[in-house]
Amino acid sequence: MTLVKAPPGRVRTRHPAAPAALRRRDRRDNLAGYLFMSPWIAGFLLLTAGPMIASLYFAFTDYNLFNTPSWIGLDNFTQMFADPRWRKSVEVTAEYVVIGTPLKLLLALGVALLLARNGRGQGFYRAAFYAPSLIGASVTVGFVWRALFSDDAIVDRAQSFLGLHVGGWVGDPEWVLYSLAALTVWQFGAPMVIFLAGLKQVPRELYEAAAVDGAGPLRRFWSVTLPMISPVLFFNVLLETIHAFQIFGSAYVVSNATCGPADSALVYTCYLYQKGFKEAQMGFASAMAWMLLLAVALVTAVLFWSQKRWVHYEEAAR
Amino acid sequence: MRASGRVDRRSLLKITGGSVAALGLTAAGCGTGGGSADGTVTIRYAWWGADDRAKRINRSIELFEKKHPKIKVKTDFQDYVAFWEKFQTQAAGGNPPDVFQCAIAFLRKYDKRGVLLDLKQQADAGNLKMTGFRSGLEKVGEVDGKLLGVPVGSNTMSLVIDEKVFEKAGITPKQGWTWDEYFAALKKIRDTQHRAGDSGYFGVMYLYDLYLRQQGKAFFTEKGLGFDETDLREWWADGYDAVRSGLVADPKKVVQIAPKSAVSDGIAGSEFTWDNFSVRYDSEGNSTYGLAPVPTTDGKKTGQYLSSLMLSASARTKYPQQVAQFINFMVHDPEVGKIMGYDRGILATEAQYQAFEPTDPVNKAIAAYEEKTAAAGVFGPVTPHPAGADTVEAAFLRIGTDLGVGKTEPADAVRQFFSEAKSALAG
Repeated sequence: MTLVKAPPGRVRTRHPAAPAALRRRDRRDNLAGYLFMSPWIAGFLLLTAGPMIASLYFAFTDYNLFNTPSWIGLDNFTQMFADPRWRKSVEVTAEYVVIGTPLKLLLALGVALLLARNGRGQGFYRAAFYAPSLIGASVTVGFVWRALFSDDAIVDRAQSFLGLHVGGWVGDPEWVLYSLAALTVWQFGAPMVIFLAGLKQVPRELYEAAAVDGAGPLRRFWSVTLPMISPVLFFNVLLETIHAFQIFGSAYVVSNATCGPADSALVYTCYLYQKGFKEAQMGFASAMAWMLLLAVALVTAVLFWSQKRWVHYEEAAR
Repeated sequence: MRASGRVDRRSLLKITGGSVAALGLTAAGCGTGGGSADGTVTIRYAWWGADDRAKRINRSIELFEKKHPKIKVKTDFQDYVAFWEKFQTQAAGGNPPDVFQCAIAFLRKYDKRGVLLDLKQQADAGNLKMTGFRSGLEKVGEVDGKLLGVPVGSNTMSLVIDEKVFEKAGITPKQGWTWDEYFAALKKIRDTQHRAGDSGYFGVMYLYDLYLRQQGKAFFTEKGLGFDETDLREWWADGYDAVRSGLVADPKKVVQIAPKSAVSDGIAGSEFTWDNFSVRYDSEGNSTYGLAPVPTTDGKKTGQYLSSLMLSASARTKYPQQVAQFINFMVHDPEVGKIMGYDRGILATEAQYQAFEPTDPVNKAIAAYEEKTAAAGVFGPVTPHPAGADTVEAAFLRIGTDLGVGKTEPADAVRQFFSEAKSALAG
């Protein structure tokens, strides 16, 4: 395939030696642009950038919301690493990400594969599977979840019927995290829709060619579908992983605001919240927030680095 | 990043506030309360509780506004935990409510941060009457010579029992019964009724305080903890064994039914809690519930004291005089007493106590309980609560639960509690 290479660098048409009048008009245009953007810019500076810079400062201070922050250097960070509850929160969060995310993606992909065929009532099924993603983040669903997974509630009874006597999940330190993972898996609709879009993009000819070469359904999946949708897969893995690190609402509600029992649902942001708003240790909480940012950035970097090995972009795009 | 965005709303408010001020746009009426041209002021009143309390409070406020037409009262309420989270943020932002419900565990904490108004001046100026309180209650809100809260009701720790369960097991709790007798009772309940006798006594900080007081110690001193690791290890090791042997309810079950109580749910036969909380059991459960005496070590001392919910005021209020008048009305007015009943404990002032005649069995039982306990002569003075007491209580309950579900051994739990308490009390 021959490709016309895009000119390197800027594509703008304006020449450095453009007449002064033209540049003035450009500036006027820009000004209008900035003016229209100003609500967003103001919002960004005041609600995002400002607080972030402030929290970066607080991360190195002892700050209880009332007294003026006093600089303590890296103390918050050394305290953090020495804190068994902080380590527990890291453990719980990692476990949640590792259990919940792959399951959610597997289910999303599986259902997307089923729905990619054009059968009867596809629209209904797509909507039905997507619905939990729309309502899943609400507090109400958290309460419903708590009710479903309690002692002698429907899940417990179903287990007992099958001869498994586990009891309610939400009161058992060994099980509560799985109920949270189940909640995120249940919301597989969003990645499913993205998978569906990806699956629709795979050229039919590839399947036909593979079939002619004698490839069965499984082989076609491994050798055609998976490589062809790997960019979409990458996107979903990235998004869902980052998302999973930030779990808060469901853990908070399902555990009845305790993140327990025995800190078993103490996800990272839950501990951050407790430190900041219950114990009023805003400096520590800020330091925790920045550690989370670093961790997510690190994971993202690793994923980007790994994509060379398994994500296949169409040759043409290279 | 979302998390860090939340952290600094306060400094953000400062920035916004600053720029708005710089533009000369500060509107009158912002901040705490507002005054209008005819001299009417609005004060904000926040409290924790549920709908029933809201109805009673609103009726009381209607009465107040009728008698003080120049003062308007705006109310705001949440449940206990949410209330203090919101309060902390508001107070840090310099915008706490003018008047708010308070409790002993919070007095030093917020006094240290300059949030609480010393009501002594208002009392001296005659806007707030500090006489006519029952059984020395007026001292409850005094900390380091300042008057930081005015009690609205009194309560004391008690043992709520499922009467049917105790009856079937053939147990009649008596004033002055001992811990050994209590544990024997739990055993009898377990063996005869196949249910736990207690809902988890070892995580209740206020009960442990009583146990310590029975031995001449206390949970808190003015500066820190009034007991050592050996004391707590014994208490928690007993609790640990009690859960394992089924004398005390399995915390795995107890945490799941929260906020419902283990006693009204039928998991446990009894539970230590404040006597005015007993109102909830009748509406939640379908047995009959009663109040029993707190067990003792020596057959005499229970370690009990009269505690109280209080009304405190913000040091930043623009209307200290009106705030004092409002508190005065809420605490002394007989009509308010009739409306509020024992919702916040037995009415604190003689005037209100005389005005309200309990007619329902629950309120009667609460009154009878405090009378009987007072008659037994076991009430002592309140132990101080240092700043950070609320965080210590949360840690005590949490680590107690960890212990109950079997995630921690008593020795580790004690070590963890002391390390967390130390940092909470230092902050």
